[in-house]
Amino acid sequence: MEMIKLTDVNKTYPGAVPLHVLKGINLEIEKGELVSIMGASGSGKSTLLNILGILDNYDSGEYYLDGTLIKNLSENKAADYRNHMIGFVFQSFNLINYKNAVENVALPLFYQGVSRKKRNRIAMEQLEKMGLADRAHHLPGEMSGGQKQRVAIARAMITNPSIILADEPTGALDSKTSHDVMNIFRKLNEEEGKTIVIVTHDPGVAEQTDRLIRISDGIIV
Amino acid sequence: MLDFFREISQTLSHNKVRTALTGIAVTWGIFMLIVLLSMARGVTNSFNENMVSRNNARLMVWSGSTSLPYHGNREGRRIRMKDKDLTSIPEKTPEYVEEVTSRISGGEKMSSTKAQISQSYTGVYPNELTSSGNMGDMIEGRFISDKDLKSKAKVMVIPQSYATQLFPPDGKNALGSRINCNGLSFLVIGIYESRWNRDVYIPFTTARMMASDKEDLRTLSINLKNVHTEQDGNDAESAVRNTLASNHDFDPKDDNAVYISNYFTNSLQSKKALGILDTCVWILGILTLLTGIVGISNIMFVTVRERTHEIGIRRAIGARPRQILNQVIVESVSITVLFGYIGIVLGMIVTQIIAKVVGDDGPLLNPTVSLSIALEVTLVLVIAGALAGLFPALKALKVKPVEALRDE
Repeated sequence: MEMIKLTDVNKTYPGAVPLHVLKGINLEIEKGELVSIMGASGSGKSTLLNILGILDNYDSGEYYLDGTLIKNLSENKAADYRNHMIGFVFQSFNLINYKNAVENVALPLFYQGVSRKKRNRIAMEQLEKMGLADRAHHLPGEMSGGQKQRVAIARAMITNPSIILADEPTGALDSKTSHDVMNIFRKLNEEEGKTIVIVTHDPGVAEQTDRLIRISDGIIV
Repeated sequence: MLDFFREISQTLSHNKVRTALTGIAVTWGIFMLIVLLSMARGVTNSFNENMVSRNNARLMVWSGSTSLPYHGNREGRRIRMKDKDLTSIPEKTPEYVEEVTSRISGGEKMSSTKAQISQSYTGVYPNELTSSGNMGDMIEGRFISDKDLKSKAKVMVIPQSYATQLFPPDGKNALGSRINCNGLSFLVIGIYESRWNRDVYIPFTTARMMASDKEDLRTLSINLKNVHTEQDGNDAESAVRNTLASNHDFDPKDDNAVYISNYFTNSLQSKKALGILDTCVWILGILTLLTGIVGISNIMFVTVRERTHEIGIRRAIGARPRQILNQVIVESVSITVLFGYIGIVLGMIVTQIIAKVVGDDGPLLNPTVSLSIALEVTLVLVIAGALAGLFPALKALKVKPVEALRDE
């Protein structure tokens, strides 16, 4: 069963010279796949990620996520889908710097209205899984890059989303730490069957995924 | 809800110094508002205290001399008010006049079996107790009654200080004792608290009997009824003036023949003035507060701008636009209310100090802020804070979740 199904998705950025960024993307990603998307800068890779992550709209075509048509959603609906179905992992971690690890991990549940006690307990479990139980009450500024990215992954996992979308997750990390982070993704994929999409331009990262999708000039090649 | 406030307090304490500096402007604004309002309240209280203790629906008439020739009489004729005015004024202007009273003074000395003092008596009506506002409260016994008036009773109401002088050592047995005055023996029926007023009161009719019939009334005190508006007060005044003019044959337009002091319209005007004072204070206070509010609004703009990336992250992980809007507005309201309350407390402390320093007898009586004002100010604070936060919040609302993907 497909977790992600894109049919002829087009996206044009309006302007004096309209920019046709995605020119009919057709893409299927099965449940439980670990795939990487590679492409040069300007290839439409970021736009594709934005659409997959319901951060941006597309003009025509269809995008099904876990069987749900994602099209012309209201801001509220989009926010709810992002909250429940997608876990984001960013290159620059995007942790909130005045919140400690547990609070950062628990934040998506705050927007679901889960009680503080309960969401902190669940956040603690996620951190333990990432081997960060001892860092639970540290602020992001007091942690290393690898630790921060593991906190970010814990945050992505806390709502038990359909997919994990990672945007250059190892871009800011050294090679050893990158390796550790990739191991976590592999483990989540193998042991929990998570569908994971990693956008990268590092061939070393792409190698560790099940499938490599290349995008060039707005189309999948 | 508690959770929501925890979230707010975390973001606020993240920038303590800036939050505090912004808040001080609001504290100052509210402080000024409270101090000004309570001063105004003090003036109003003091005024009301003076007014409430006497009957305001009242005219005082003093006799004067004519300044216009009338009906063959030259100007400069002295107007002599007589006892018949007491009855003819209510008869001729029944729609406005409830009762007309006057007073006659006389005598020089009074004595008990033990002591003697130099003091004149004043013949009054029973309403002297409530209408003049000059008298202290009764301590013992009663005041002159209608029955005393009718029977021309030889009874006396004296201030406490004379009770102790005439019946040493402490005046305890003064009530029921007798005082001699002008060869008559008076029964002491009441003792009142002596403040600056130390008149010895006897019934008007008794005083009239003791005085010569020719003696004029220098003043008339006219209790009004059916007066509600300033217009009523003025109508009543001219009706009384016309009656006196026909009684004594002077030109009703002659302002010098009798002088009329209209307590009713005066008090209405004073009340109006106090109302204006109150309004001015609110306007001043709110303008001062406005400076603080603009400060808050400004800082919220800066905060939203600084936190664009953070808001983007929150949006990306599932915050609804409404939740972002609420967060900014509640932050703004929280700063405003928190620092506003500091201002209220400081303002109340300062007012209490002023109240202590000025004391009860000064122009300010109990210059404190009532609960209703505190509630009104709270309402003002919440609205102000929400307004201050509204525009920054709308700006925050425009932050797209894609912002999360941009590098800081």
